[in-house]
Formats: sequence, structure tokens, C-alpha cells
Amino acid sequence: MNARLQLAYVGMHPDRRAELEQRYGSAEEVLEAIRKGRIEVPDRARRAGMVPAVERLEQLTAAGVTIGFREELPGHLAELPDAPDLLFVRGAIPSEPGVAVVGSRRATSYGASLAHRYGMALAHAGWPVVSGLARGVDGAAHRGVVDAHGSGVAVLGCGPDVWYPREHEELGRALIANNGAVVTEYPPGTPPNGWRFPPRNRIISGLCRIVVVVEAAKTGGALITARRALAQGRDVFAVPGDIDRPTSEGCNRVIRDGALPVLDPEDLIEAVSLVLGPSHGSVPVDGVPVDDAQVDDVVGRTIDELAVERPVSEVLARVARLEALGLVRREGGRIVKGR
Amino acid sequence: MFASVTSVALVGVEPRPVRVEVHIGAPKDRFALVGLPDTAVREAKDRVRSAIVQSGFQFPNRTVTVNLAPADIPKAGSAYDLPIALGVLAAAGSVPPTVGSIVALGELALDGTVRAARGGLGAGVVARDTGLPCVLAVQSAAEAQRVPGAEVRAVRSLSEAVAVALGTTPGAPIRPAVDSKASSVVDLSEVRGQAVGRRALEVAAAGRHPLLLWGPPGSGKTMLAVRMAGILPRLGEEERLEVAQVWDAAGRSGRAEMPPFRSPHHSATMPAIIGGGSGVPVPGEISLAHKGVLFLDELGEFPINILNGLRQPLEAGWVVVARKGVSVRFPSDFQLVAATNPCPCGYAGDRLRPCSCSVPAIDRYRRRLSGPLLDRFDLRVSIPRPPRGDLLGPAGEPSRAVAGRVEAAWAMQSERGSPNGRLGRGELDRLEWTPNARRLLETAIERFALTGRGFDRIRRVARTIADLLGVGPVDEPHVAEALSFRGEW
Repeated sequence: MNARLQLAYVGMHPDRRAELEQRYGSAEEVLEAIRKGRIEVPDRARRAGMVPAVERLEQLTAAGVTIGFREELPGHLAELPDAPDLLFVRGAIPSEPGVAVVGSRRATSYGASLAHRYGMALAHAGWPVVSGLARGVDGAAHRGVVDAHGSGVAVLGCGPDVWYPREHEELGRALIANNGAVVTEYPPGTPPNGWRFPPRNRIISGLCRIVVVVEAAKTGGALITARRALAQGRDVFAVPGDIDRPTSEGCNRVIRDGALPVLDPEDLIEAVSLVLGPSHGSVPVDGVPVDDAQVDDVVGRTIDELAVERPVSEVLARVARLEALGLVRREGGRIVKGR
Repeated sequence: MFASVTSVALVGVEPRPVRVEVHIGAPKDRFALVGLPDTAVREAKDRVRSAIVQSGFQFPNRTVTVNLAPADIPKAGSAYDLPIALGVLAAAGSVPPTVGSIVALGELALDGTVRAARGGLGAGVVARDTGLPCVLAVQSAAEAQRVPGAEVRAVRSLSEAVAVALGTTPGAPIRPAVDSKASSVVDLSEVRGQAVGRRALEVAAAGRHPLLLWGPPGSGKTMLAVRMAGILPRLGEEERLEVAQVWDAAGRSGRAEMPPFRSPHHSATMPAIIGGGSGVPVPGEISLAHKGVLFLDELGEFPINILNGLRQPLEAGWVVVARKGVSVRFPSDFQLVAATNPCPCGYAGDRLRPCSCSVPAIDRYRRRLSGPLLDRFDLRVSIPRPPRGDLLGPAGEPSRAVAGRVEAAWAMQSERGSPNGRLGRGELDRLEWTPNARRLLETAIERFALTGRGFDRIRRVARTIADLLGVGPVDEPHVAEALSFRGEW
């Protein structure tokens, strides 16, 4: 146990660590080899690996970070051949498999708003939503989960105490506060090096039964996740886009290769239910009791349309009230449900 | 061997009397011009010489010294040709010295014809103040006649000017400047649908709130904006004169009862928009829009320094333009309307065309606009693409009807003090609210994470909405509607 924790602090590439462990037989042997200099790692990494586990545990406890060894992780993740040996966890990992919503960091506003809606719908339906807390699609999906007060997991490509991108710190904390978790296999203090991100994608798909690719170009992390997911036996869904738009090319290609195309959030929920069984019921939305009819009356319409029947100032005031209650918002002039 | 004629210089839009003094000395062919003249004034020497000769007079073969007093006011343009010529003739003894007892302004052609020049209206003001008649080109005379109590004479040539100054002829007939009543202006009734846009226009006008319209190309932002002038109350006599003065200072004429509408292109320079220019400062677009509407289409394309330059005039209602040695103040009390696309490609949030911009690109685009100027827009309204059916819908309410309500709201505000668009935090804190209105404001602060400035904007707009209904304390529906115009972006 101690050696496994110490080894995690060396911060090697997960693939290299797995390979070494196989060669040397156990984490203890690998650690010993590092100590003796038979395995070459940077000095700093070696020193990090030599700090006694007790000390590390104290540090982690102080920082509110817990450790989940492989055997303690949810079965759907632990059973994978390339499962991480341990995860640093802030919050609590949901025990049941979830749905990953992934996509481009440079999402268009269309992609981001779709990710947000998917995130909300999935959270409402009660499934954990997993993503990478990155900019673009990831962040929007997490935001949707938080807005719906659902449970979500963010898998980081850096230490559990490092927020990247920095502006997502508040979002990450909101996930933890809402019965979700922020997890990573990298020890505290690990910077977000580019090479650390592709390996974390296997954890995203590992925590799920389904991976939804919202918007992805031909190259990019989201497609790596999709490929890993297929290898892990997960179902891959993707949102189709214009064939001429480079920002949808990745999605369209996965669909051609067999991914299930999904449409609006309702369609996604239906497809997910087929795989995961009926949803676990909805998460209650807080707020003030408002006649549902009031919301239903305005959703899907524009203010200009509503203003045909009543004075425009009255319509504006009414919609603004619903907005203030967080029940609707306007998107390109059309009123939609949610914040 | 000395004579003087009164003329006019504009300091900003303020007309000041200028004495054109002419002294003729020793026999020597020399013509000196002193008293802070600019290049165009200096060129007067050649025009005056030719005009005098061509009009059948003799140009004195002596040292001619012309002084434009007071020397500390900069003088610009060709308007001093006529007074200089009259002064030279009087000083040389070619005509009686009584020609000097007039206010003269005008450019001379080489053949002695008198042409209109900048400052005609100012000449009228000086004529009224000094009690002297003013002698001007026909076109300028029409401008000067706007000044009540000014005696105005129109002339076509230098010799006619001499005759008029001596009182031997009444001068050329003046065609009075007619303020056009209304109409080449577009009317709000031509706009179909667009209930939100129309309402935003009305609320903005009623409280003199800066208005930002955003939406995809072709959604009707510009169509709405150009109709803003039509829903402002017509200009009164005094305001029209004020506007005329600014336009006169810019060397332009042609005004109406209708408030002016100015729409400078985003490639215009800082002096063209804010005011300035080399030498004597001239009013920019923001002053030409005085008492009217300044419309900035494609707001995001305007250079940042120009946008920042709008802040002070927006708050004060005037702008100070400083140039080397002079600093003048131009009135610039305008209604600001701006339009912008929601993103670089223009289609973010559109229901028909997908937006091809990445989120960071949209962020950058919007961040350009954010900050101090964006903060000034009390109303930010999304104008989505109208549904096709709207284009065939019934005609809307005419501008005149809306203008009536706006005028009534203005009256309520002038009773309280300043227009709502200019209410500061202290004044906003003193406004009266019903308990329900307060409750909604509190909810909104939390839910929309309003900043102090955002909160002030909501309160200003809510007050205006109440004014449009003519009610006392601001109530909950007014706050709710104001919230709908907060336009996240």
C-alpha cells in the first residue's frame, strides 16, 4: 500500500508505470529500483517518491484529498486492464457508471450550449456525468450538471489541488459540493503538462458506460477518449454536424465508424436509458413554486411572438421574472428552459 | 488712413465679434496680415486684391496692414475677405468710412462675387448684440435671419456690399431658411413585428438611455436605430437655434424640426467623431448629433480610443476639444444608439445559420466592447432574426404616437431634475420603490449576480418605464421589464 502511494508521487506516465510494474512484479520492487537508480527518473521525482507514505497521508488529509486504490474504485473502472492503480479524490465518486460528455476545448457556442443542455438533462435524469473540466465542451457539460444540481465527476490531467484552466476552479468546487468528485491519478502539485491529458481520458471513459462526443474536430482529445472508450467496451454516441464544418468533422467520422448519432437532449436520454436502464429519478430543482403552466406557456417561443397576444412590456416583465427564478433563459431570442 | 469693420470668429460654437482694422501707410507695395490668422485667412490678401480691382476700385499702392483683433482668438477660413476688402477701401478713402459700421462676413471670388462662409449664424448673433446690420452672402443671410432681432442684408458682390453698407440699396432678397417639417424621415410604422425592439427604442428615448442592439446581420438593428430620431420630441425654437449654431460652426446648414440623426462610419477619425481638426477646432459627429441621435453601427469595429472618448460627453452633454493654444467646448447632448453583431461571424444564437466562431473568439470579440463604455449602455437588447410571418404582418404604431409618450416622460423627468439616463447613484438611492419592487430587485441582484453598475442601470430603466406610465413609486412590473433589458453579453 505504502509503496503504491509513494510510487504515485513519482508522477510517471501511467503507461510507463504499468510497464515497469509488470517488469518488476510489484510497486515495492519498482520503488526500490528507483531508489537504487536502476530506473532512471528525474531527481526531483525520485525524492518525491522517497517521502514516507505516512507523511503523504497527513498532507492529503489536511488538503481534504482521499485516495482510492484500484480495488476500492467502482467495478466498472477497476476491471479495466489499464485502470489506474490509485486515484486522488476530492469528493465522492458515484458507485454506478455514468455518462461522459466530451468534446473540443475550442467549442463553438453551439457546441457549448448543447453540452450544457446534455449535462443538465443527464443530471436531471439522475445519471452521473463525467468529463474533463477543460474549456469548451467539458466545462459547459459540468456547468449544466451543476445548474441542475446533479452529480458529476471531473477527471483532471494535473494534481487534485491544481485548477486548470484556472477559471474552472469555482466550477470544480461546485461539483464537489454537489455530491460529485474531482479525481486524478496525478499527485498534488502536478502541473497540467500536455502529455498527461491523453492518459486521463481512459479514466473518463472508464467511469462511464457511455461516451457522448458533442463537438470534435478531426484531431483532438475527444476522439482519443472515443477510441479508448470503444476499446474498453463502452458505447459511443456523437452529435452529428454539418459535413463541411471542421468543428464537427470528428463527430461525423465517429458516427460513420459506428457511433450512435444523438439529437436533442430528450433523444439522448432515451438512448442512454436503453443502455443503462431507466433513470434513477430526477434530482429536485430548488426555487420558488411557480405555476408550471407559466413556464410551459413561454418555452420555445420568442418574446415577439408572445407580444402578439399581450402587451410587450407585460411579456418582457413576465419572462424576466421567470429568468430571475432561474426557470428559463433566452437563447437567440427564443425562450428555453433552465438557467 | 485707418478704418475698421466688425466681423465674427467662432470660439467653439460661441460667436465673438472681431474687429478688422486696416491701416494704410507709406507708399510701398506691401500687404501684411496680423492677428492669429490661419493659412486660408492669409490667402485673403490675393483674393481681396483681385476682387477690389475687378470691382472697379483701385487697390492702394501703399503699405496695407490688416489686424484681426482681438489677436488671441484664432481665425480660420475665408470669411474675412469681405470685411478686409471693405476696410481697405475705406482706409484708402475710395469709399466713405461709414461702410465700417456693419458686421461683414463672406468669401470673395476673384471677380468680386461674395460667397457664403462658415459662421453666418454667428454673424447674426453679433449683429443682434452690437445693433449693427450684418452684410452677408445670400445663403449665409438666410442663416443669420434665424437670430431674432438681427438686421440682415444679403449681397451678391463687393460693390453691392459697399452700396448696402452706405445705405444706398437694400441688398439682394433673402430666401428665408425653411426648417423642413418632418419628412424624408423613416417612420416606425414601417417596421413590422419587432415588438421588443420597438419597446426598447421607446424606453431608451423616454429616459435618454444609451441603447445597444445586438443580433445577427439582417435582423433589423439598423432599421430600428434609424427610427430613433423620429420618436424624440420635435425640437423647440431655442433648441433649433442651438443645433443650428453647432452646424454653423461645422460649416454646414440644413436643419429641421426633426432632431438630427448622425451615423458616422467606423473608419472615421477621432477628430471627425469627437471634434477637433488642425488649427481652429470644429465640432465632430457627437456635436452634430447634439439634441439628436448618434448611431454607431458595428460598434465593435470602432477604435477603442474613440469609444473611450464618448464617455465624458455622454455624461456631461458637452465635450472639450483642446488644440495647441485653444480649448473649446462643444455641446454634445445626444441620444446614443449602437448596434453590434453578437460574434465575429454574426450568427451566434441565430436560429437559421450556425455560428462558426469558437467560444474564445466570441469572448475576445465581446471583451473588446466591455469595460467602461459598455457599462454606459443602460439597455442592451438582443434583436433576433424576425420570423418570416412578421414581415407580412400589420404595420406598427407610427413614430408620432410614440414621440408623444416620450415627451410626457421627459416632462416628468425635467420636473425631478435630470433625465433618468443621467441619474447618479445618490439620486437612484433616493427613488421610491414599492415593497414588491424592492423584493424583485433583491432577488435579481443575487440571481443575475448584478454589479453595482448593473444594479444602477436596472434602477434607471425601471424609473423610466414607470415614467412612461406616469406613475409615482416604481413598482414590481417596471423592475421586471427593466430586468429584461439587461441583456447579458
